[in-house]
Amino acid sequence: MADSNKQTSVATDPVRQLADRVIAGDMPALARTISLIEAGHKAAQPVLRHLRANAGHALVVGFTGPPGAGKSTLINAYIAALRGQGKRVAVLAVDPSSPLTGGAVLGDRTRMGDHSLDGGVFIRSLSARGHLGGLSAEIHAVIDAVDAARWDVIVLETVGAGQSETEVAEIADRRVVISVPGLGDDVQAIKAGILEIADVLVVNKSDLPLAERTERQLRSMLALRGDADQRVPIVRTVATEASGMEKLMAAIDDGAVAGDEDARRARLIRRARRLIAAKAAQMVKAALDRAEGDLDEICGQLIDGDVSLEDAARHAQSVARTDTGTTGPR
Amino acid sequence: MSENTEKTPERVLITKIGMDGHDRGSRIIAAFLRDAGMEVIYTPPWQAIDAVVNLAVQEDVEVIGVSSLATDHLIMPDLMKALKDAGQDHIEVIVGGIVPDQEHQMLLDAGVAKIFGPGAMREEIVDTVRDLAAVASKTKFESLGV
Amino acid sequence: MADDLKQPFLPGLEQDIEKWQKSYDAQIAGDKVVRNRSGMEIKPLYTPKDWDSGNYIHDLGMPGQEPFTRGIYPTMHRGRTWTQRQLIGLGTPEDYNERVLKLLDAGASAISLLPCNSGFRGIDCDEAPLPLLGTCGTVVNNVDHMDRALNRVPLERISTAMNDPAPYTLLAFVLGVAKKRGVDWSMITGTSNQSDYISHFVANHMFYRLSLPGSRRMLVDHIAFCREKVPNWNPVSVVGQHMQQAGATPAETMGLTLSTAMQYADDCIAAGMDVDEVLRRFTFFFDISVSFFEEVAKFRAGRRIWTRLAKERLGAKDPKSWRFKFHGQTSGSDLTRQQPLNNIARVTTQAMAGIFSGLQSMHTDAYDEAIACPTEETARVAVATQNILREEAHLCDVIDPLGGSYYVESLTNQMEEEICAVMDKIEAAGGMYRAVEDGVVQTMLGDSALAAQEKIESGEEKLVGVNCYQVDDETIASPPPYRPDTAAMEQHVVEFRQFKQDRSQAEVKRALDQMARAANTDSANLFGEVVDAAMAGVTHGEIVACLRDELGFGHPLIVA
Repeated sequence: MADSNKQTSVATDPVRQLADRVIAGDMPALARTISLIEAGHKAAQPVLRHLRANAGHALVVGFTGPPGAGKSTLINAYIAALRGQGKRVAVLAVDPSSPLTGGAVLGDRTRMGDHSLDGGVFIRSLSARGHLGGLSAEIHAVIDAVDAARWDVIVLETVGAGQSETEVAEIADRRVVISVPGLGDDVQAIKAGILEIADVLVVNKSDLPLAERTERQLRSMLALRGDADQRVPIVRTVATEASGMEKLMAAIDDGAVAGDEDARRARLIRRARRLIAAKAAQMVKAALDRAEGDLDEICGQLIDGDVSLEDAARHAQSVARTDTGTTGPR
Repeated sequence: MSENTEKTPERVLITKIGMDGHDRGSRIIAAFLRDAGMEVIYTPPWQAIDAVVNLAVQEDVEVIGVSSLATDHLIMPDLMKALKDAGQDHIEVIVGGIVPDQEHQMLLDAGVAKIFGPGAMREEIVDTVRDLAAVASKTKFESLGV
Repeated sequence: MADDLKQPFLPGLEQDIEKWQKSYDAQIAGDKVVRNRSGMEIKPLYTPKDWDSGNYIHDLGMPGQEPFTRGIYPTMHRGRTWTQRQLIGLGTPEDYNERVLKLLDAGASAISLLPCNSGFRGIDCDEAPLPLLGTCGTVVNNVDHMDRALNRVPLERISTAMNDPAPYTLLAFVLGVAKKRGVDWSMITGTSNQSDYISHFVANHMFYRLSLPGSRRMLVDHIAFCREKVPNWNPVSVVGQHMQQAGATPAETMGLTLSTAMQYADDCIAAGMDVDEVLRRFTFFFDISVSFFEEVAKFRAGRRIWTRLAKERLGAKDPKSWRFKFHGQTSGSDLTRQQPLNNIARVTTQAMAGIFSGLQSMHTDAYDEAIACPTEETARVAVATQNILREEAHLCDVIDPLGGSYYVESLTNQMEEEICAVMDKIEAAGGMYRAVEDGVVQTMLGDSALAAQEKIESGEEKLVGVNCYQVDDETIASPPPYRPDTAAMEQHVVEFRQFKQDRSQAEVKRALDQMARAANTDSANLFGEVVDAAMAGVTHGEIVACLRDELGFGHPLIVA
């Protein structure tokens, strides 16, 4: 890849130009790059290769919570607080897509309308692109691209359906989980897994009468999971009034290692691992789809009980390895 | 590198500018487009033109559908100009709602691709948006030269 | 119940019905299930089996008597015809005044003012795009504008309806004008037609400006202020129109509207007001769709249910407080852009349904309503429609003429069931305010809207000229749309800017500071401050901006 780079003059190479514009903070360039990634355009990876060296400086903060928790409104207030500190913020708002049609209505950014004319705020709406986990496979690459553009904070907003909480946990540096008093079964609405990965718990709409109870329930659930020392802060907010923001910011920043080079590297490695795993899984799946007929025999063996699932999978892996489709580097 | 063999959904902005707030129609259109597999960025009414342009840039949309039931279509030329000034005239724009016959040409002259009246049916709207998005998508990627 | 008066009263009926059913089935080719907009199945024939007139006392009663099914007054339209209250809104105050005086000359006794969309947005004319000013309503931003709009309109004799939501600056301006003219506020009659903030939040995002809790406060203060200072004004108009236009079925509309009324009544009671006094000044505002019998049933059922709610749930003692007073507007959402003259037939049908429903005042749409603000000519036709129905068709001569119809009474009963089911759902969700906060109502509306659209798309719901009996549009020209005179409007804005410069800035500041303080003081009457500010020369936009700051801006929940 490095060789082909040398073949084209850096100044006129459009891939390089695009990457440079992104790094320089050009919003249309960033927006277009994200589109390239989402479209699986052949230029996406080359652009990303140029961008990755610049990534790793932003603090990625994941906000997750059930519908009705007020995530977008809370993020809107959080953005205002960050802007008050002179920080530049990018928001990736992810909404589920229809498993049937693949379409989606993306309306989260309407709650962040206060910032629609602020050049220091970039908001992009994404759909899960059919991934039941809630995050598309491209999300990691999108974050890398956004990260290269020198935003101080990247907010990742998700509904928290399916497996996406754990995905967010892998991507985000700080994980904020939002709950709301009186949402049906109160804290039952938050699945057990989320509490384990949360760095900050928020009780939004905390002006509601049941807020006190919700906080206590969260606290006792955390204690059950070994957080008797109350290391996980629980912050009360009323997003519509932007109250609780100072506490929220402090809780997010506390323990977040944004600054040094080692931390940056560690962050990037964590994301890279996830990215590679996701890509590898995608490649194996694609190869197996192509290998259809070749798997009939092993499938038969599995059904007849002649082979274990692990062995069948290993067989499939070796079939995938021999696949000569469009796998491997360009 | 493997290419994404799945079709990339069209990215459409459904919005209202000006001063009217009746949005039942635009919500229904958003639902139609979603059911047709598109990604719809949906805004409430009363969007400032500058905000719409910013949004279109950040979301890199291909089609903008403006719902106009009262007289807000009268400021469509301002939106078209703002898009052009921001280098976004690859975006195809349609207007849906109530536009008096006498004022259709003004919109078309300003660059609006098509005007849908209240009797327009789902299929026609969806097909038009799909076709327009394909054109805009091609242009936007080609313009990068990558 | 009068069970003992049922079937045995008409021997042989059962067999006759069977006989008829056989002949009907034999002759009809392809009968299919017919449903009305609320989803109720409509049979080809209704008989005493469907409604026994022995239930007259329980189900109907007499006009002006519990349960008021036949009408809230003993004389109804025969004693006093419904008020013709045509909604007007266009251009500058002078443009409005010209239209209104013509209307009054033609015999109207009540007027209604629709402000420019800029007003709904909460901004003054000097902040709005000039091409859009006055295209859909009249630009009134201060007391002086209102004075000019109501020039030569005797406030002590003419009932005025103001169509703006909280903080009701239009009424504040009217009160300012009254003071200027030496008219005592107790002489002022009319209605705050758009005081229903809940309907704005769920169905007509047109109108929201203040936060939900802020709007709640404003309404209660508005009611309290009017009770004391403008006692003949109706501060509450619960608006079913928005729900229906947003897609709610007629049954849902009535259910949601009555739930809203309950919420407002509860809020007033919680604020220490006397329930009888409060309810006496409650009014309702509904759309009348072209689904003729369904509308009649909806209103009759609604009236009956409200009586029960007022008496039993809210504990009002005075029968006058149980009255379901309503203004009906022929529904613009049934009108089409294609072949606009057809709309005259639609409006006539809707108006007839309204009359048979026993409404207290009515607005009939002009046939070009679907296209633009009505012209003088089309507005005249709309008024003539009402006159013809009254004078030529003699629809006022008999009170509740459809009463006793097996179909109408059966449908009214069914409606009551459906309406109560909706109300139960809202109650289970914690009441209307809570239901709106949680998006329950919005979801209901969204689902119904989509369902209604599907019916039109599939052709199940017929729209003449749109999905049947279409005509090539090229051959029919729509009337030229109304556009205000640009020069006059520009001049209006220039003068307004001058006004802002010339007034006492100290007075304006004092009033705004006072209003802001009041917003943060629970015991202060915020609407009183709005009136005060208006009379101190503060403009509409300035009042709204101040209250938005203090009470928060509304963010209606968008359920995609």
